[in-house]
Amino acid sequence: MGCVPVVGVKRSRTQLLAWSNVVAPSPRAVADVTSRPAPDLLIEARGLTKTFGDFTAVDGIDVAVPRGEAFGFLGPNGAGKSSTMRMIACVAPITSGSLRILGMDPVSQGPQIRARLGVVPQQDTLDLELTVRENLYIYGRYFGMSRAALRPKIDDLLDFAQLTERADAKVEPLSGGMKRRLTIARSLINDPDILLLDEPTTGLDPQARHVLWDRLYRLKQQGVTLVLTTHYMDEAEQLCDRLVVMDGGRIVAEGSPQQLIAAHSTREVAELRFAPGENAAAAERIGDLLDDARERAEVLPDRVLLYVTDGEQALARAHEAGLSPISSLVRRSTLEDVFLRLTGRSLID
Amino acid sequence: MSAVAAPPSRSHLWQVVEYQLYVGRRIWRSMFIVGVFTPLAYVLSLGIGLGTVVNNHGNSLGVPYLVYVAPAFLTAAALQIAAADSAYPIMAGFKWIRTFHGMAATPLTPAQICDGQLMWVALRIFANSLVYLAIMAAFGGTERWWVVLCVPIATLTAMAFAAPVAAIAATMENEGNGFNMLFRFVVTPMFLFSGTFYPVSELPEWGRWLAYISPLWHGTELARGSAIGHIGGTAVLGHLAYLLLWFVVGLGLARWRFGVRLSK
Repeated sequence: MGCVPVVGVKRSRTQLLAWSNVVAPSPRAVADVTSRPAPDLLIEARGLTKTFGDFTAVDGIDVAVPRGEAFGFLGPNGAGKSSTMRMIACVAPITSGSLRILGMDPVSQGPQIRARLGVVPQQDTLDLELTVRENLYIYGRYFGMSRAALRPKIDDLLDFAQLTERADAKVEPLSGGMKRRLTIARSLINDPDILLLDEPTTGLDPQARHVLWDRLYRLKQQGVTLVLTTHYMDEAEQLCDRLVVMDGGRIVAEGSPQQLIAAHSTREVAELRFAPGENAAAAERIGDLLDDARERAEVLPDRVLLYVTDGEQALARAHEAGLSPISSLVRRSTLEDVFLRLTGRSLID
Repeated sequence: MSAVAAPPSRSHLWQVVEYQLYVGRRIWRSMFIVGVFTPLAYVLSLGIGLGTVVNNHGNSLGVPYLVYVAPAFLTAAALQIAAADSAYPIMAGFKWIRTFHGMAATPLTPAQICDGQLMWVALRIFANSLVYLAIMAAFGGTERWWVVLCVPIATLTAMAFAAPVAAIAATMENEGNGFNMLFRFVVTPMFLFSGTFYPVSELPEWGRWLAYISPLWHGTELARGSAIGHIGGTAVLGHLAYLLLWFVVGLGLARWRFGVRLSK
């Protein structure tokens, strides 16, 4: 981590994105690649499909994740993200298509693959009756690790998860953020080649989410391959080098956060809020003001979004045309806008 | 990076048992009370209390009533505890605390998780039965050394019933109200109609058939045989075969249901 600035939660998103592009693989990751004849692609899926009866949860997706990448599945609830993750985790069988994890076949080599994965499930599976330390110990034992190997490892992980002071407390009374950090620490007990995180921060308060993102960012800096699902675009932007946008079981777009924004949205967004019921009429009038073919207006139930190159200028022109929104703001485009553009819906319904 | 993680092997079954031991450390008091209080209550109230009445009114069983009834109590207690341990705790592992889903993300296979869970139940039953045997002996309820076979016999009987219960627990999606039915209409009647208190030959024919179907009767006959010695070799083999059939089929069903539930 020496060559890379330690990223705190106070840094801006743009800085995070800028850094994420210059991160060199850590010495540890490089050594790993050379010491083991590992494939370049840790995850390789072609036409991956999962059906439950008549319902197609995952509809023929292609995914390739190289070592060291932070890869994300972004999409609303029900997009097929979790089903995909459960197939990658070698827990749920695939319906059709092909899937190779770490160069192995999940059907015949499930236990061998799972031995090298770390899994953070959507719902915690901690044992609430046991202590923090016991949860880590027991989980390590499932991987066949010895007592002697586990003792120092658990101390390191407690430190990483900022749970050292709670090591011998029962899990039950811990806060949601602490339980989540314990689940992440637990998933690292076997030094996994790939860390799978299914909705890692859903249900946490903003402060707890930032602490968790900081921890995940550190792992990323250490060269751990991260695969995560999220329906939070800020999470995807902070953590992912590359992501796919999923909707209805299909991949509708793929790229880095910046590439996706550049390809599917404008540089800036002006948000105008009018009185209830007046948003649609206002949007129609504003639409006439937009000249560039790439610029457009989008009506949401509570506001109008103007996708433009210069947000302040668009706002000024709206005022000149006699429109008087109750409130307005200008911001950069985000993945939320990309998703809205691609699917016509917002991420969190 | 994962050099410390050993390749998957059968020994993983013992890691599930180790987990249960950690959980068990938290509830050892209740396990101890069940393990000691229940045998004391039955041996004293029915074995000795009721036994005094039976022995004073022309006991035709050939042995004191306590010697006759205690091996049956031991076997029935083993079956009841094993059924309870395979019902809600297994359901909780899937539905409420979700620990089995956590295990399924590790090299453990669903079958190993199932086997480990049942192995834990078997170990607990074995230990419980040893305590029961000691209490029987302390109150003069044993007459010969063969009676120690009650412990493995009770464990086999208990697991023959616990394995299919585990399969049901792994299948149930609701809040487990079905278990109330299981205990009210299967487990308790089985205790009453399996020749626990008197020979099944005293039952009407339909009652005898209930006993023959019940794994508990076969276990009770074996346990009582070890305590008294009234049983022949063919009967022993027949009872053992019937109990093994229940266990093998039940284990197969349980492994299958664990697999289905954990790969959804």
